[in-house]
Amino acid sequence: MKVAIGNDSNGIELKEHLKAHVEELGYEVIDSTPDKDFNLFEAATEISKVVNEGKADRGIVIDEYGVGSFMVANKYKGIVCANVFDEHSAKMTVRHNNASIITIGSGIVGKKLAEKICESFLHAEYDGGRHQIRVDMLNKMC
Amino acid sequence: MKISIGCDHIVTEMKDHLVGYLKDKGYEVIDNGTYDKERTHYPIYGKKTAEKVVTGEADLGITICGTGVGISASANKVKGIRAALVGDVETARYAKSHLNANVLAMGGRILGIGVIEEAIDTFLETEYEETEESKKLIEQIDSISMNDESLNDEHYFDEFIEKWNNGGYPTT
Repeated sequence: MKVAIGNDSNGIELKEHLKAHVEELGYEVIDSTPDKDFNLFEAATEISKVVNEGKADRGIVIDEYGVGSFMVANKYKGIVCANVFDEHSAKMTVRHNNASIITIGSGIVGKKLAEKICESFLHAEYDGGRHQIRVDMLNKMC
Repeated sequence: MKISIGCDHIVTEMKDHLVGYLKDKGYEVIDNGTYDKERTHYPIYGKKTAEKVVTGEADLGITICGTGVGISASANKVKGIRAALVGDVETARYAKSHLNANVLAMGGRILGIGVIEEAIDTFLETEYEETEESKKLIEQIDSISMNDESLNDEHYFDEFIEKWNNGGYPTT
């Protein structure tokens, strides 16, 4: 599985930390925002594009609160994104919403919890079944 | 101030509690449902709740489902909405003061009622404070090309609901 990871200027340190952790978990990591001057709009837009084009299977975006990148990513057709601050949500949003991108707030979530969130997100698989009607509805929108 | 609120069947009781909570504080509330525990689909209620805000019928919106993700993703897919999914009070404050968020979303199976009430209070009482950075971000978010074909179309999801009713989707 290929994982695209991106950040704004407030997310660099946590991004670098998570890049190493996700690679240690055995995933191929694509750093989609190697430059330092991305804002959260540009970072979330870039990750959404990479995922929508199939260049990565899942994406992770880091800004200070997670919430701005979350707003942006969900504006793109075909993207379901979750702002995540706990392991359970990270797992359930893949299982129920078929989310392909999560955002994490570097000013809100500590390193250890962020690692665990990434693990839960990347290890989870979509349940399908009754959840598909809701995902079909989301994918028709915007 | 008028608040538009919506939920799915997982958290109906919590939404009902919040309707009472908001009314007790003097807010007018538009309750977009769902109204019982019968299985339904969160995008219906995210869309309805968000549209009341976009059309100006309500000032701000609140959405809750299990994790908060599904219903807030659907709200964000309505043009003009900036929905904030939060797990804490500080993020609710930031989303309003910096991004001028117009819908607040939380997970009813993630957060306790204390955090939820406090996040709502903070969200409703915080003013947007424009800075060069926030102005630029909001302009960028609003510039994303989105269709508004779904706006106030009550039949927008009919094809899926019909398929569901006809057994075209698994129920497990």
